[in-house]
Amino acid sequence: MPASLFTALVIATGFFTLSADGALAADHERDTQLAAMCTSCHRLDGRDRGIPSIIGMDQQAFIEAMAAFKSGARSSSIMHAVALQLSDTEIAVLAAYLGARAMEGKR
Amino acid sequence: MTWTRRKFSHVAGASLAALAARPARSENRARVVVVGGGIAGATVAKYLATSSARPEVTLVEPKQRYTTCFFSNLYLAGTRSLESLTHGYEALAGRYGINIVHDVAKTIDPVAKTVALGGGGKLSYDRAVVAPGIAFKYGTIEGYDEAAAQIIPHAWNAGAQTELLRRQLESMDDGGVFVIVAPPNPFRCPPGPYERASLVAYYFKQFKPRSKILILDAKDTFFEQDLFEDGWRRHYPGMIEWLPAQFTDGIKSVDVKTRKIKTGGETFSASVANIIPAQIAGELAQRAGLADQTGWCPINPITFESNLHSGIHVIGDATNAGDMPKSAFVANSQAKACAFAIASALTGSEEIPPHLFNTCFTFLAPSDAVSDAINMKPSGGAIKITDIFFSQVGESDEARRQAAHQANGWYAAFTHDVFG
Repeated sequence: MPASLFTALVIATGFFTLSADGALAADHERDTQLAAMCTSCHRLDGRDRGIPSIIGMDQQAFIEAMAAFKSGARSSSIMHAVALQLSDTEIAVLAAYLGARAMEGKR
Repeated sequence: MTWTRRKFSHVAGASLAALAARPARSENRARVVVVGGGIAGATVAKYLATSSARPEVTLVEPKQRYTTCFFSNLYLAGTRSLESLTHGYEALAGRYGINIVHDVAKTIDPVAKTVALGGGGKLSYDRAVVAPGIAFKYGTIEGYDEAAAQIIPHAWNAGAQTELLRRQLESMDDGGVFVIVAPPNPFRCPPGPYERASLVAYYFKQFKPRSKILILDAKDTFFEQDLFEDGWRRHYPGMIEWLPAQFTDGIKSVDVKTRKIKTGGETFSASVANIIPAQIAGELAQRAGLADQTGWCPINPITFESNLHSGIHVIGDATNAGDMPKSAFVANSQAKACAFAIASALTGSEEIPPHLFNTCFTFLAPSDAVSDAINMKPSGGAIKITDIFFSQVGESDEARRQAAHQANGWYAAFTHDVFG
């Protein structure tokens, strides 16, 4: 599946889970559970101080940043460790979930 | 357009809130009782309440407000107020509908599935989560018991104990000796005693520069030792002395009146002392039979359910969780894994393997911080470290300043994640 289609699917799924549709609850759980790893350091309302905000990012930029942390091209031992824990699929799920948080953060 | 979008958001937000607040028929909702309102307990309560399982969550905690142990060494340094480290339960109650019961949990009946409260009532549960923190093994140092701790503080639970230590440091004469007795492994916050030495040295350097700090350790090595020793040389040359167990032959007894601390060899006189005793899982864990002969609670490394009593999960410092250090970050990480495992069990949905992670920011001085980053995962019934990274000796001052700035930002975000 092309990355863009996969991403689009993830966004769509992420959107419909807001309706609390039981059939899609599993996907909802997957993204909120993954994002729970981020929220130990990053806020999801955009009110970070001293820690970079990760909401509302362009999805591709997020994916590239995580790849750079994983390879060590971008230096941060904390983000290097976090990136090592996450599969490419999980990073794509987070990119969609966190990217979609922008509007809520600015509300 | 902006107005429309805002309006839409508000409506959407309101309907979601209504959905969240609308109680399902009570008999259909699972009841989860969380005992202990520290980092682990508050986190698990919040993440359960927001999970798709939507259980009724009750949090039992005697204190009205919680002061974090982490960052309390900055209060000893004089750069942070204790108030800035203190958090209430209003958001957990108001925003997430968690029922907060300010009482002591006396014991737990794992068969009847009830938690008995000090006030006399009982709470029934489908699942219980116990996060009792630590208790001190008083008596391992002769003369140091609970009453002695009112004179020579441990300051290893933040609040009145930390204030007592700060007052004693403030009233100490310049040229005094501050003795820290550091505990044997495992204990809450591995870098904590050494960060405390660093930040009290920071205070002494400004106000009592002829004073000394002596660490009498029950161990022969300690966490991030190279980073600390380098920091001490750079910031506080000649001020901090660390004596390992092999040198002292262990800490034997203390006389609280004279502040004399007797080791296997020499006896040391302290102007101010801080004794951090050996530790075990918090008292409720002992009373409820959740701790084994090690004094800590054995758990399933994926769900954090007790290996000794089914239906009861244990999280935070009280657990024996393999390689996981006893840190606030780990408590938060375990709490999330536990909340998701309970939610999966309640809804029958697929369990997603937990991501277990730790990072600790540690201050060598208020503008010189270091960190570690540890990945862990369940493996063969235990939890094993898969990756571990540390700050390095020789990093630039700017890198350390940035880490300190990040650390303060982390505190705000982390406590928001737990209590906000």
